[in-house]
Amino acid sequence: MHDHHAAPVGDVNGPTVALAGAPNVGKSVLFNRLAETYADVSNYPGTTLDTSVARWGDGLLVDAPGVYGVSDFNEEERIARDVILAADVVCNVVDATRLDRDLFLTLQLLDLGRPTLVVLNLVDEAERDGITIDVDELEQRLGVPVVPTVAVTGRGVADVERRLVEATAPAETPVARWFDHLPADLAATRAERVLLVEADRPTAERLLDGPVAVADGGVATGSGLRDAVYADRRRRIGELTRAVVSTADRPRTLADVASDLLMRPLTGTPLVLLTLGLVYLVIGNLVAQRLVDFLEVVVFGRYYVPFVRTAVTSTLPTGGPFGFVSFLLVNGNLGLLTVTVQYVLAVLLPLVLAFYLVIGLLEDSGVLPRLAVLADRGLTHLGLNGRAVVPLIVGVGCVTMAVITTRMVGSRRERLIATALLGLAIPCSAQLGVILGLLAGLGLAWWFAYLAVIVTVFGVAGVFLDAVLPGESEALIAELPRLRVPRPGNLLRKTVGRTRMFLLEAGPLFAVTAVGVSSLDYVGGLDLLVRGLAPLSRLVGLPPSFGRVLVLGVVRRDFAAAGMTALALTPGQTFVGLVVVTLFVPCILSMVVIAEERDVRTGVVMWLGSWLVAFAVGAVLAAVVL
Amino acid sequence: MVTTLSAVSPGVAVEITAVPDPTARAKLLRLGFLDGPVECRRRLRKGPVVLRRHGTELAIGAPLADRIEVTPP
Repeated sequence: MHDHHAAPVGDVNGPTVALAGAPNVGKSVLFNRLAETYADVSNYPGTTLDTSVARWGDGLLVDAPGVYGVSDFNEEERIARDVILAADVVCNVVDATRLDRDLFLTLQLLDLGRPTLVVLNLVDEAERDGITIDVDELEQRLGVPVVPTVAVTGRGVADVERRLVEATAPAETPVARWFDHLPADLAATRAERVLLVEADRPTAERLLDGPVAVADGGVATGSGLRDAVYADRRRRIGELTRAVVSTADRPRTLADVASDLLMRPLTGTPLVLLTLGLVYLVIGNLVAQRLVDFLEVVVFGRYYVPFVRTAVTSTLPTGGPFGFVSFLLVNGNLGLLTVTVQYVLAVLLPLVLAFYLVIGLLEDSGVLPRLAVLADRGLTHLGLNGRAVVPLIVGVGCVTMAVITTRMVGSRRERLIATALLGLAIPCSAQLGVILGLLAGLGLAWWFAYLAVIVTVFGVAGVFLDAVLPGESEALIAELPRLRVPRPGNLLRKTVGRTRMFLLEAGPLFAVTAVGVSSLDYVGGLDLLVRGLAPLSRLVGLPPSFGRVLVLGVVRRDFAAAGMTALALTPGQTFVGLVVVTLFVPCILSMVVIAEERDVRTGVVMWLGSWLVAFAVGAVLAAVVL
Repeated sequence: MVTTLSAVSPGVAVEITAVPDPTARAKLLRLGFLDGPVECRRRLRKGPVVLRRHGTELAIGAPLADRIEVTPP
């Protein structure tokens, strides 16, 4: 065991088995079949990516993130590397219809010397595709057990469990010939040597003084050496597949037709818009509006909140510190036991659940990367690539959740830009409903004006950030997996697990900020803030009471929008006010999550930036319109 | 004359000869796209290029496709 790689859980007697493989090969399905009991979806220690860990016998079963190989390229691969190196046995799940692609990780595992068992999944699809694989020959040539399975039906899974003890790795593999490039006196394990010749930066920094530099027949830098290692591995794969795989032609399937339709922008974009429209109808209307309304107005408004309020005020003695505590617990803005609980359970929970369901659906069906392809062209102008389309879409539902979703966006630079845009110009569903209602009252022209302003600010901000931030954003490189119908069980498990994790992260954060804001309110701080904001309200042509709208909006975005309806304003003023409210800082929960996901300094800069942009744009609009 | 990936028409097969970005090169190499001829399946106007090899489909964003050099196989 390598002590620099954190094991998923501390004290465990039995072996740790890691499931490793490419995305969408059926790893999670296999994981759930093997684990049987409910698995704890938790964050891999020190990271923000979700990884499933389950107790298995006396040992552990860990589901590594889906990767095409282990390396330093992105967070998923770094975590997969750590999981694989810390495990005792690796269960390598490969797609029988994509052996050419998946054997890279397999050979890499063997090069690393990890005891491996290969699970040849999706053999039913291989059969349908006319692909035949000589399993015995493959097993012979790899030197490790190969078990054919159809994870979704359970076929072969018992054999996997039975044969795990046979997991092994060859004593030496062809990668050893590159070890000559490493210093002769280097004290490193076999796995570390392989990582070094593959230019794995963290390992190089830890064991050497820098990347492996060689001057030998054209292989002049670390990445050059890596290319040579990779190319040789590809050559070995070629030999293997030629010996083991035979393919017959197959007719076009419905999935092929669907994929083509999705990928042609002419048919694809309308299809996606239609799907998204449907999604928003279900989520935005059914869930966000109706379910949330029901929960807030009936369940909480009529029963829970009055009950808790009377319970607290009747049990706590009055006066002195108890008055303060009572205020903290049940005040109308952010009472810990009333509004905070209500917000988390009645508003956030249904919304987050619904959105994770949609994301999971897009992931499991294979639509997600195709969405990224369609969106890529537009997003590259903003310093983003197609993958960022997901957090941006989620942001219209809940910005807090979208910031968490930026984890799936490639590089740090893009996560930064995506987060900034989310905080600045994406109105979440909490306020969107009220905003749209108010705008509808004003007329279509104002509606379009609002849309135009927001989209322009969004675009300009993106272009600006792309120009100003150092470095370059990563171009899209995305595999388009086969389109398939998602399995409901898997989807639900994933959704529930992720939602649970979100609530465990967001809940306490919100509680802490609620206490903080309530305390401020108690001492009259909020009223002070409202008075302090009066000059800014004047700047954008609005009455001083607008300040209260803004301050409430910091707490909950829908409070801001709702606050607008209470003010008596001209259409022009309403328009300007709504623009300012939209561009203004995101709710305090979002801000805290932004500070957590990026860092405090970035959070503060974004916060100040929102103030600046919101009031600058507001002032310009006020001058033009009022 | 050097042809870039973004100039390849759908249906045409090419071999990738140069990928200027080392990480992108490693990713393509790993998936087998530098092993031999790849087919251009689709090219979105000023957008990503979709390649296919041995059943695996890969979308490459325009900024990268503009810099990848290819030749006829």
